[in-house]
Amino acid sequence: MSNKIDVDTGSDGKGSHQFSAQADTQEMEERALSVFSSERNEDITALVFTLITTFVVLLFTKWMV
Amino acid sequence: MSEARNNVPLFVMGGIMLVYALIVNTGSLLPLMKSIGTHKTMDLQVTMCFIVGILGILTGIVNSIRKPQNTLLDRFFLQPMAGVILLLALAMLVRWYLEPWVIIGSKTLKPVIGFGIYKVLNLNYVVLGLLVGVLITNTVGIPNFAASGVKTARFVLKMGVILLGARYSFAELAKLGVYSIWLVGGFVMGTVFLVLWLGNMFKQPKSMTGVLSAGMGVCGVSATVAVAPVVRAKSEEMAYTIGTILSFGIICMFVFPTVGKLVGMNPTQFGAWAGTGILNSAQVAAAALAFNAVDIATLKVAEIFNITRVLFLPIIVLVLATWFGKETGQKLSFKTVVIDKFPIFILGFLLLFIMSSTGLFSPPSHYKGKYIDVSYNDRTRITDQEWSTLDEALKAGAVKGADATEMAALEDLHKQHQIAGNFDDRNNKAVFDKVGRERMTALESILAQHKAKKIEMSKEVTGVVKHALKQVHKKSKTIVTLTDCMIWFFAFGLIGLGMQITKYAMAQAGGWPLVMGIIAGVTKAVLSFFVVLWFVKEVTLN
Repeated sequence: MSNKIDVDTGSDGKGSHQFSAQADTQEMEERALSVFSSERNEDITALVFTLITTFVVLLFTKWMV
Repeated sequence: MSEARNNVPLFVMGGIMLVYALIVNTGSLLPLMKSIGTHKTMDLQVTMCFIVGILGILTGIVNSIRKPQNTLLDRFFLQPMAGVILLLALAMLVRWYLEPWVIIGSKTLKPVIGFGIYKVLNLNYVVLGLLVGVLITNTVGIPNFAASGVKTARFVLKMGVILLGARYSFAELAKLGVYSIWLVGGFVMGTVFLVLWLGNMFKQPKSMTGVLSAGMGVCGVSATVAVAPVVRAKSEEMAYTIGTILSFGIICMFVFPTVGKLVGMNPTQFGAWAGTGILNSAQVAAAALAFNAVDIATLKVAEIFNITRVLFLPIIVLVLATWFGKETGQKLSFKTVVIDKFPIFILGFLLLFIMSSTGLFSPPSHYKGKYIDVSYNDRTRITDQEWSTLDEALKAGAVKGADATEMAALEDLHKQHQIAGNFDDRNNKAVFDKVGRERMTALESILAQHKAKKIEMSKEVTGVVKHALKQVHKKSKTIVTLTDCMIWFFAFGLIGLGMQITKYAMAQAGGWPLVMGIIAGVTKAVLSFFVVLWFVKEVTLN
């Protein structure tokens, strides 16, 4: 059985949202303030984007100079 | 057609960005930019506005011809784009116009009111960004088209915290020595637990207490942002924490130097006290300079103590994750806390800190990207004209009041045309660098003593020494650029965060955060005062 539930917030919102089946109101509120469906996804994406930024910066300020 | 109408804001904002980029590119705004000191960002302004403008119009076109779907592209790119561009435009407005105008206005008012509002109230992009966000949401409200984009604010703030790691290196910790690290660590943990205890006593929400404890224990904005997801703090609680820390810092900026002078602290003692007791790094620097503008040791010690606190961030996140889990009735094992609860973006902060410590961005001994290079290098030489000025001054004995070490450093600058170690030691890097740095310190001392009117020398010779010192102080382009990115991420994120703070939510939080913050801050300041006064006689910076 899946421990995630989907909530459709419509096209003018952000489309569908996934919550943990055990999510409390506070977690729902928290997720409603983010475009990501979970804290983990948000963190991993932030880390990947930052590493890409770092790589690009290194490329133009160190390796290609 | 109706889809195109829904995307009007995207077309309008994209168009404005492109027009602005074109106007800046013609140079017609150059006089205005020079007057507010932003002319050096001209290329950046053109590039950023051009890219954002094109992105806005392209997204508008795609949104107009394509029906909204529930795909990753829609959720993370097409729908938030309008809000993202609005936040970016506001961040540009804050960084390129509002902040410089506040600085100029503050300088103009200084002779009338006697102090610089900008410095005292710390009205930098952090505070201004938050205020702009709060102002918009409580007046016109968040426009419908921007609602989805504003929700990217926290994500972008996390990127800022990760990048923060790049600014520090392990060499900073090594400089302090074990004793001082215990001192800083003790006060960080002590403050965190004191605020948690106060929160319990005053029956404040766990999320508010958690985020305030990190802010008061570690340092301002970054710690607040880093801990907020762990304790599920709301936007207004983060804003209150940032506000409390800055207000407390304002009081400290005036009180610390006065008390330090009254009890006769030495420069290193005061540096250690200010670096431990004051939270915001800009306010630490202001207090150190107010105490002693001549001896650079005060500022250096204060900054290093202040910076060391940031490196306790991952530990504090771990402690608060455990505390919050237990307080909310969860059964936590070691694995749950360390692996499941530990935020991945804090691991990112650690990863960049490690990369920075290995010397990937800059020599490992850097400090916020600044490092000293006393090796032989054509670019670090003084000019021929400067050498002649120094030559004449030394022959005429025009530098009076310097001690033997200072004179020897000046004579070596004359001999080698640059600040460096001994030529014979050039193959032994450690010895060469050590001698070079000692000469640099002696020349810095000459400048400081000249400022205090203890050493007599002409304006021209002062200029030569200043230039020679400037030449060996290098800045890592990589870290400067990464710091710039971090500032943009914070500016963007804080405006978005401000937009999630309503008057109602602020009224609900009340004045308790300020009361708790002040109690904890004063306790820490008083305790660290006695500890520093009794135990710190001299901080040896390796």
